Amino acid sequence: MSADVNFQPKIVAFACENSGWLAAEHAAQLLLCCPEKVNLIKLPCSGKLDVLYFMKSLEKADGTMILACQKENCRFIKGNIRAAKRVTQTQNLLKEIGIQRERVGIFYIAANMGHKFAETVQDFYDKIRELGPNPGKVIK
Amino acid sequence: MIIAERKPIAEILGFLSKHQKVLVLGCGGCVTVCLAGGEKEVGILGSQLAMARNKEGRPLEVTQKTIERQCDFEYLEGIRHIVKDVDAVLSLACGIGIQTCAEVFPDLTVWPGVNTKFLGVNLNVGEWAERCQACGQCVLDKTGGICPVARCSKSIFNGPCGGSQGGKCEVSPDTACAWALIYDRLTRLGQVDSLREIMSVKDWSYSRDGGPRKLVREDLELESGK
Repeated sequence: MSADVNFQPKIVAFACENSGWLAAEHAAQLLLCCPEKVNLIKLPCSGKLDVLYFMKSLEKADGTMILACQKENCRFIKGNIRAAKRVTQTQNLLKEIGIQRERVGIFYIAANMGHKFAETVQDFYDKIRELGPNPGKVIK
Repeated sequence: MIIAERKPIAEILGFLSKHQKVLVLGCGGCVTVCLAGGEKEVGILGSQLAMARNKEGRPLEVTQKTIERQCDFEYLEGIRHIVKDVDAVLSLACGIGIQTCAEVFPDLTVWPGVNTKFLGVNLNVGEWAERCQACGQCVLDKTGGICPVARCSKSIFNGPCGGSQGGKCEVSPDTACAWALIYDRLTRLGQVDSLREIMSVKDWSYSRDGGPRKLVREDLELESGK
């Protein structure tokens, strides 16, 4: 548990425009709130995601996540599979420098799952809050 | 192309332990293609180094730059204004690029960020294999385009040796026997009879026999100097 009870983590959440992004819009229509310091970034497909995106995000954030299409449901066939591999690659890079691998995660979601979106983002936010500030953060 | 692999992060962090400002310098040539030292790898390593040092409480100012090629003096001359503001350069180029960089900036420490492995080909994403040893005297005309110097574990001519079993080399079941490949290829081309001609012993004087090699083509020289 983070020592600072007032700690509000910064999260960068990448979202596939065919699932995560639409789920976020659905959540907004349902008036479901999202933690304040979550920066949502739209991608044309989770397969567009690169290890570099995660690493640059973690220079100024405490955690980063990708909201991808459900397994076997990617419009571009392998986008979410590739995203999962890049999550693992990023986790390994973090492990090499002693930063918790849990600061990066992939979550599978469908366009009509506004409730699940809000729940997933909140759970990830809470998990990062428990881990505390990213010790490697370059831009405070 | 030249195949390289990034050094372990602990080794790189050790190199940079006494520096506060470094330039992570990528190369747009071979190391970009083999995913060891191009613009993307510079970005990833730059982030990793900055985060690792921040975690230790000793921030590292990382400048990132990737030039067209580090093995050409003129591209390195173009970053002189960036280099003057850093304590050291971490070069992600192959051994040639690293040495050229050190030659252009003699007063600056240039650290190697990669291990240069071999001259090879990309077989799959993340998989490369050796194809040439730059021995200086190509024999591919006699061997169906398959090099026995680089691809036979013993670099023998007039093979295969007794260790070839089922098309595989005795060194590793993952390694194809170069002479089995040569035989199959020449059979396919209808040229297998050419193997009856005994190849003379390899003339290593074209290789590293006389120390570091140099090639001078006077027909191309326009003026003296580099």
